[in-house]
Amino acid sequence: MTTTGAAAESARREFSEILARKGHAVDNVRDAVARLEQAFAEGALTRNPEIAGVLADLTVALEQNEGQKLGGKSAEAARFITRRLEQLLADA
Amino acid sequence: MSSFLGRGPRVSDEQKKRIPPGQYFTEKWPVLHYGSVPRVDLKTWDFKVWGEVDNPFELGLAEFKEMPRKALHTDIHCVTRWSRLDMDFEGVAIQTILERAQLRPTARFVVVHAEQGYTANLPVDVLDDDDVILADMADGAPLTPDHGYPLRLVVPKRYFWKSAKWVRGLQFVPADRPGFWERYGYHNDADPWKEERFSE
Repeated sequence: MTTTGAAAESARREFSEILARKGHAVDNVRDAVARLEQAFAEGALTRNPEIAGVLADLTVALEQNEGQKLGGKSAEAARFITRRLEQLLADA
Repeated sequence: MSSFLGRGPRVSDEQKKRIPPGQYFTEKWPVLHYGSVPRVDLKTWDFKVWGEVDNPFELGLAEFKEMPRKALHTDIHCVTRWSRLDMDFEGVAIQTILERAQLRPTARFVVVHAEQGYTANLPVDVLDDDDVILADMADGAPLTPDHGYPLRLVVPKRYFWKSAKWVRGLQFVPADRPGFWERYGYHNDADPWKEERFSE
């Protein structure tokens, strides 16, 4: 079921706006996910199992072990995954 | 006679024929993955084969290395457009693994499982090829951590994301299940000679 209302719309819009911001793509994705988590915590959006799975993939894609650089495909993975996430959020 | 293929090192006419459309030749072996290079604990490391097979099994690394060995000389092609020619891999032929597992007729696809939840999918018809191996060595040396130590799949006829690094298992299934990149927009078939890079 799609969550409606001003809070849901605001969360969706801000998620997309943060992703489109100038700056480092990975930093933007991390900030966008933080905004999303806030929306879930406040009940503005619903975390369904598919979204949970996509967020789990995103966590791995952006995982950075101590002393390591982030893998060269992390930014691309994050871009692909957040594109899917935006589609799913339209129905969340 | 030699010629140039775009920028970079000199490429012979013979080599040029081995480079798929849209690719460039590199002498380096770029490191490309997402996230971090996983830390491997060989005390707990295992390799499993399960699903639509009559003989599921799991092996430690020492047991894996005791299996019949196969050397492979091949070219590899990355979806990010580099191709590296004349690589030498060594490991265990996938056909040795398939023979041991005894696939059921229902085993039509394989899900390759790797560290950190990474998966890649292939039809069994593509996997079951005499140039597909599970490699623990490349160019005469053990795999380095960033190239998949201790074990990676090598499927030369597909873009290299199908050749999962840090492989931990093969799951045989009756129906196709898109892997990590395939779920997010990479092409399911990944044939470099058809430039099957993205699904959209």
